[in-house]
Amino acid sequence: MSGLLIHLRAAPTLLRIGFAEMVAYRAEVAVWILTATLPLVMLALWSAAADGGTLGSFSQDDFVRYFAVILVVRQVTSAWLVWELNYNVRTGALSPMLLRPLNPLWWNLAETVGALPLRIIVLSPILAVLIWWKPQIALLPSAATFFLGCVSVFLAFVLAWLVQAVFGMLAFWYEQSVGLYNLWFVAVALLGGYVIPMDLLPSSIVPLARVLPFHSALGAPVEVWLDATPDPCRTLALQAVWVAVTATAAWFMWGRGLRRYGAVGA
Amino acid sequence: MPSRVALWPLAVIDVRQLSKTYRVPIKEPGLSGSLRGLFVRRYRDVHAVADVSFKIEQGERVGFLGPNGAGKTTTLKMLSGLLHPTSGDISVLGFTPKERKNDFLRQITLVMGQKQQLLWDIPARETFELNRAMYDLDRADYRRTLDELVEMLRLSDILDKPVRNLSLGERMKCELTAAVLHRPRVLFLDEPTIGLDVEMQLEVRRFIADLNNRFGATVLLTSHYMQDIAALTSRILIIDHGRLCYDGSREELAQRIAPERRVIVRQHVPALLALGFVEDHGRMVTTAAVDQVNMLLEEVMRRAPSAEIGVEEVPLDEMMTRYFRSRGERRDPS
Repeated sequence: MSGLLIHLRAAPTLLRIGFAEMVAYRAEVAVWILTATLPLVMLALWSAAADGGTLGSFSQDDFVRYFAVILVVRQVTSAWLVWELNYNVRTGALSPMLLRPLNPLWWNLAETVGALPLRIIVLSPILAVLIWWKPQIALLPSAATFFLGCVSVFLAFVLAWLVQAVFGMLAFWYEQSVGLYNLWFVAVALLGGYVIPMDLLPSSIVPLARVLPFHSALGAPVEVWLDATPDPCRTLALQAVWVAVTATAAWFMWGRGLRRYGAVGA
Repeated sequence: MPSRVALWPLAVIDVRQLSKTYRVPIKEPGLSGSLRGLFVRRYRDVHAVADVSFKIEQGERVGFLGPNGAGKTTTLKMLSGLLHPTSGDISVLGFTPKERKNDFLRQITLVMGQKQQLLWDIPARETFELNRAMYDLDRADYRRTLDELVEMLRLSDILDKPVRNLSLGERMKCELTAAVLHRPRVLFLDEPTIGLDVEMQLEVRRFIADLNNRFGATVLLTSHYMQDIAALTSRILIIDHGRLCYDGSREELAQRIAPERRVIVRQHVPALLALGFVEDHGRMVTTAAVDQVNMLLEEVMRRAPSAEIGVEEVPLDEMMTRYFRSRGERRDPS
């Protein structure tokens, strides 16, 4: 049986156990989710700055809607692969995983997906409070926007996870791979729409920022959901290109990295 | 089946001139050393394994001995495909381990006493289920094997407890179960009894022997507990400073290193002091050359007719101590 088929056959069990593991860690996961609420801080800041009027094209309600969606997209595209890979490579904990005939990254992906229901449960009351505060933000998207938004969030999830894989794999060569990932995240925050909506960036850098991977990993799906992108199909295509580029880099680095791991000590 | 099987048809494990050299950066002390290290890195070569060759046949149980840092774990990691050799050839079940082919990984296991694969916060049963999926085991076969292992290791009461709540011994039993659920043909065991109490050590030993007897699995075992090696293996490989320095039976080693026997009288008999016995925890103990033992026993029975007498080989750990001391003296005559 081919390796891919075995990976697919194993997926339901991996997902179930990944979810069971997250339920066992529910308190820690909930606290971790709640620490990633920077969008709520930004929501408060930008709303206060708009102060009943508008900033650029954003009204106060637009800010609430934007950062509510950022909060959700950020949560459902979160992963911890970079920390896990870094730790496992540096301590040798990767070794027992490499002895099994299934790629250890596949198991991490199952754990990450397994955590999604818990993330949604923790997010629900926060969203409920936001909607109670500003009922007008709860706009139902059209069927087309809903579909494109789901695809875009999926691509952002895959891209964010692959980016963490790439940075995590740097641990095969370099001890401070987590530090480099933090630099990536700073770029996502500034150029990807996490703390500043793309439309409020200086107009000279917006065209460039829109084609960079930081935007594809976070801002793009938010804009697709809010129907705020002129050409959603182009946005999705760009996301797919970045997924392909990152997947190729991850595939290449995994092979090279394992050779190095096998050469210098495991 | 890979073509290499035809080249080396007999041995399950065939190691030829295996070497592993690590390139280790030299960190100079002090701030100036650290600053210099930023620009110019110097390295030294560490020869962890050097020119090691041996073969192990199907179903053999072999003990792999040596002091800390001798190269045992490095060799096991190369045999299981985790480390790439610097030079030399390895064949395990006809595969080249470093290629880490799935068909190879399905037939081996490596238990590392100091590393765990069990998921910490959920019951061990879930890790077993995870391994079933990862090894793509048939559900009926998996259940049969698990039932068998649960019975062999008496696990039924602990299967559903979170791993974090298990004792060290219980955890090791679950680790072993997870490691052999796929019925590997070759078991690499690196310190499987480390930190366990005596009773648990006995149980793990019994389990390993059972696996070997029932499934014909080939076993290569390292342990600092010589009782593990003595109880489980008849053939010993000794490695020191990366070089294989002994490959043979325990009896041959005893003849070479400690040809005498230990005579033990299990009670205090002062009359035996004159025969060279010394008191040891209420017993009388001495050693004698093999050809002198019968004469000594006759004399002991004459002086203490009702005494309970035992004759033993020199324990393996003492043999090892003597062996490495003699090698050290040869290396460093001063």
